[in-house]
Amino acid sequence: MTAAWLLRRLVASVAIIFAVVTFVFILIHLAPGRPCSHFGGGEYVDQIECNRLSAQFGLDKPIPEQYWLYLIALAHGNLGYSFSLHRPVRDAIADTIPFTLQLAGAALALDFLLGLALGIYQAVRVNRLPDIVIGNVTLFIYSLPTFWLALLLLLIFGEKLRWFPVGGPNNPVLCPLVDSLYCVADRLWHLVLPAATLGMVGAAGTARFQRAAMLEVAAQDFVRTARAKGVPERRVVLQHQLRNALLSFITRFGLAFPFLLTGAVLIETIYAWPGMGRLAFDAILSRDYPLVTATALTASVVVVAGNLLADILLGIADPRLRVRADPDAHVLTA
Amino acid sequence: MTLGTWLALVVALVVAAEAVRALRHRGLRSERWRRFFRQRTTSWGLGILTFLVIVALAAPLIAPFDPNKQLDIIHLKNYPPSWTFLLGTDYLSRDLWSRVVYGARVSLGIGALGALMAVSLGTLVGAVAGYYQRWIDAVLMRGVDVGLALPRIFILLMAVALWDGLPFAALVITIGLTSWFGTSRLVRAEVLSLRQRDFVVAAHALGADTRRVIFRHVLPNAAAPIIVSAALGVGNVLLLEASLSFLGIGIKPPGASWGNMIADGASSIYTAPWSTLFPGLAISLVVMSLNAVADGVRDALDPREEPA
Amino acid sequence: MLSAMLRRSSPQLSVFIVLVVAVLASCERRGGCTGANCGTLIDAQVAEPSTLLPPSTEEIVANDVGEQLFLKLADVGMSQNTLGDEDFQPLLAQKWEWDGPLTLVFHLDPRARWHDGQPVTAADVEFTFNAYTDSAVASPFRPKLRRIASVTQRDSLTAVFRFRERYPEMFYDAVYHMRILPAHLLRPVPRDQWRTAQFGRQPVGDGPYRFVRWQTAQSIELVADSTFFLGRPGIRRLIWRFTPNLLVAVQQVIADQADIREQLVTPENVERCRAAKQLAVYTYVGNVYTYLSFNLRSQADSTLPHPIFSDRDVRRALVMAVDRASLLKSALGDLAKVPPGPTSELLSWIWDPDLRQLPYDTAQAGRILNAKGWRDHDGDGVRDKDGQPLTFHILVPTSSVLRRQYARLLQEQYRGIGVHVEVDELEPSVVGQRVGTGKYDGAIISRSNDPSPSSGIAQTWTQAGFGGSNSGRYYNPAFERLVDRAATATTRDRARPLWRAAIETLNADAPAVFLYALDNVAAVHKRVDNVQFRADSWASLLRTWRIPPDRLIDRDRVEP
Repeated sequence: MTAAWLLRRLVASVAIIFAVVTFVFILIHLAPGRPCSHFGGGEYVDQIECNRLSAQFGLDKPIPEQYWLYLIALAHGNLGYSFSLHRPVRDAIADTIPFTLQLAGAALALDFLLGLALGIYQAVRVNRLPDIVIGNVTLFIYSLPTFWLALLLLLIFGEKLRWFPVGGPNNPVLCPLVDSLYCVADRLWHLVLPAATLGMVGAAGTARFQRAAMLEVAAQDFVRTARAKGVPERRVVLQHQLRNALLSFITRFGLAFPFLLTGAVLIETIYAWPGMGRLAFDAILSRDYPLVTATALTASVVVVAGNLLADILLGIADPRLRVRADPDAHVLTA
Repeated sequence: MTLGTWLALVVALVVAAEAVRALRHRGLRSERWRRFFRQRTTSWGLGILTFLVIVALAAPLIAPFDPNKQLDIIHLKNYPPSWTFLLGTDYLSRDLWSRVVYGARVSLGIGALGALMAVSLGTLVGAVAGYYQRWIDAVLMRGVDVGLALPRIFILLMAVALWDGLPFAALVITIGLTSWFGTSRLVRAEVLSLRQRDFVVAAHALGADTRRVIFRHVLPNAAAPIIVSAALGVGNVLLLEASLSFLGIGIKPPGASWGNMIADGASSIYTAPWSTLFPGLAISLVVMSLNAVADGVRDALDPREEPA
Repeated sequence: MLSAMLRRSSPQLSVFIVLVVAVLASCERRGGCTGANCGTLIDAQVAEPSTLLPPSTEEIVANDVGEQLFLKLADVGMSQNTLGDEDFQPLLAQKWEWDGPLTLVFHLDPRARWHDGQPVTAADVEFTFNAYTDSAVASPFRPKLRRIASVTQRDSLTAVFRFRERYPEMFYDAVYHMRILPAHLLRPVPRDQWRTAQFGRQPVGDGPYRFVRWQTAQSIELVADSTFFLGRPGIRRLIWRFTPNLLVAVQQVIADQADIREQLVTPENVERCRAAKQLAVYTYVGNVYTYLSFNLRSQADSTLPHPIFSDRDVRRALVMAVDRASLLKSALGDLAKVPPGPTSELLSWIWDPDLRQLPYDTAQAGRILNAKGWRDHDGDGVRDKDGQPLTFHILVPTSSVLRRQYARLLQEQYRGIGVHVEVDELEPSVVGQRVGTGKYDGAIISRSNDPSPSSGIAQTWTQAGFGGSNSGRYYNPAFERLVDRAATATTRDRARPLWRAAIETLNADAPAVFLYALDNVAAVHKRVDNVQFRADSWASLLRTWRIPPDRLIDRDRVEP
């Protein structure tokens, strides 16, 4: 992975974010009416407040100049003022990012561990009973609406069995802040159900994909050769099939971020998890335009960063890719 | 349920089963169709989809009650499933089976429409990018990168926030306009590999113009990822619409959509679990069937299995 | 490295992680609190307040928290008698006397302290009155204080109230509506920015509880002030925990992750709470009534009349088209009653189901609409006149399951007589804003009664409430005269027939459809003793609740 390649990818990522910012700006200005509310004024702001916002955001200036001011504001990290929360948007989002990252991270971990394990197991026992059973179960789970699954899990594990807490990110009595190892464990315990909901659907998809990828690799000549040479079965599986299947997984990893962020909106609303998805949703219901657009921008940054990370990991893991200069060449399957 | 609606339901089931059987029979002649039907789940998936499509089309015949009518808010509230109310009633005493039937129209319709738009756009863009290459390709693919960077639900949330009273049709169009990015990449990859093949070079040599080559020669061979995309796309759009309706920014009351039925039923999930269970099952069934059919298509059109 | 980690197969690694987490989770932090003043109570709350600054908000949650943080001069007793001053309990004011027919003098308790150590003085009282009545603050309580001419300080512990006129509830008006604010902390804040002031997010009060922290979208935490001059509170910590969904909030209480749910709302929730072993269910008189408000002015311009609702006969038809009793039976069973007017059962001396109201009569409703020209000319099932369909929007907050259910029930009722209704569901704060500025067609609004009708009913249904609680801008001079006479009647017996006449006048004008008045049913953890609910404000007596030392559970023992 050359420095030149890395630089190119970074520049491309920045360009994409820039394009997204422009797109959002155009969208805001296409929307009808209420110029003051778009920049923190709320729906029924009075004239004095509107004048103040006009001065701050240059709302009376021509559009290209507004665009420039908008870019400068973003560059300084000024994302506007949220009138429904009475605080700067940047602070509101900053508070929620750790929660969303925890949820996404845990879901991704579950997705990876469970999905990989199931996919490998299925491929090893291909076309026998365990494969068929797991195959149908993963198909079913993959098709479930996540919010429905969330309601069911809350009902069964939260209320009936009381194994896990009913929503919320923490025990408000003992751990309003995460300031001890015990509180870390408490946070993890509260994370189980939401992460399981998001992760299970992802794991089902990953299992299906891994199974297919491993079977594809298994049919390839080099694996057959290894088997013919008498290499022990376990090594054949782990070293050859697994490594190549892993590469495909890392490829898919980049696609996981949009799915996680989308799923987060629903999961966080149901489980009262104070992450960015729930913030975006509450912002919608309050018609808090600055907050909604800022969450969209932040989500894009996360997605782009995730893709960049995936590309770098792929570059490390797959020596073949280091030679190829065109990163678009790896085909993404649905 | 009246006699008429029972009859209509049975007819729908029978027609769906027979259609699948007939297709299998006819298909036995072709290698591809044999591969398509190899897995049992594919036949089931196709059968379920056919049945649901028939139900959606013939909704006025199959649904025994008006889906929005509150039949008897005092005595028939949250009534469990019975012979009259096949799937029970919800908290406003509306017949769930009728709502599921009419909801099928909404959900399947939006799914199909959204997927159609997405696949058409994606195929067009991908084919053009893959075929013409160079700067057209570069520009289009950068655009796709930008499109993939913004998660769909946030674009939709922004649209709902910025345009007050956005009609649901506009939302569906937006869903379609934002779902084609993955398809375009797939199609582009296929076209890239196909354009080197002999038959394309031959077509060129014979003087065929570019558009003809794309549409008559390249795309039919790229059918596999396109069809798979379409099948999965319907499922994705359906889940997205359900999510939006669940969040309260999709279909407005009293309209029935599987998503907002789950939302409505959530508050009585303990006393009347059927009001959340059945719409959720309906969604899962459809998405499952679509996935099964997509698997079958993949098996059938897998180039690796083509005789060399 | 990657392959080495994978050689240990993945399932074993995840089991290991789970075990570590389980071990950590089982090590509980055992605190040291023992004795009579421990205890943590968690209230599973649905709506988060926008601010905790008392004059800037009417939100019920803000009031509940405000009860613990800020003191009034005096408070009503359990009898809810608002006439004279015999049944009032001293709080900030130790004693008081009348210095002439229009002058009321309060002597503040010298032991009262703000939580930052400063003493509470009469200057604070004067400052508070000026702030509550300042138009820049735009407090919704302002109309309730209109009969007080001024508040001045005679010395640091004596505050003098001067009234404009004599009437029976002078004392009630002086003490009930205002929570005294710290002048030294709020004077620097510009009055027009009070609604968004930082003080509202980090309040400093003088009440039995101190503010600890407010984590947005999560919780508000208060801790008992052990030096509180009227007696140390029994419960050491109070936490309001926000869950956007009533269902999940009730689930939390049932699963023993919260202690209080002060309003269970639906019969299903009540059933489930009665079945939960650790919960006790309390019923107390309801103080909230909910109605579909018709906006009599146009949404776009409040000086113009509403195209549909400005017509009294059309409104009467719309009220007659709703089968309120059936709607109530369906949604609430026997946990609520149909209000005979703009009141809840709290005002039991006025409440009378036999008050004259419009009957449920769809045939008559249809005839009235026909007579007014609203017929279905184009056969689409919706009445129309001059090409305009008879259609309107109903606004409801997403936080209220019950109001959303009612919106749908109403939609169907109106469909039956050819009126098309659209339901708009928005966040509570936006609904509050729209209702407050008159930008709605119809909205389902809940109001809580004050202990006296002369402040509550007057505020919401007379001209004094324009721009405030009278969001629909209903105005009838005959009604206002009756209300004025009722408010100045010296005894309840004399006031009662006047209030009855006033309510019957209002009912005939049909400015709203009065839908339900909930009976309050609360679920509280069994271990709590001395649970008292005062009907007008459930949280007002929280400081008297106790948990006996032998019934402490884990979350009670934790030191803050």
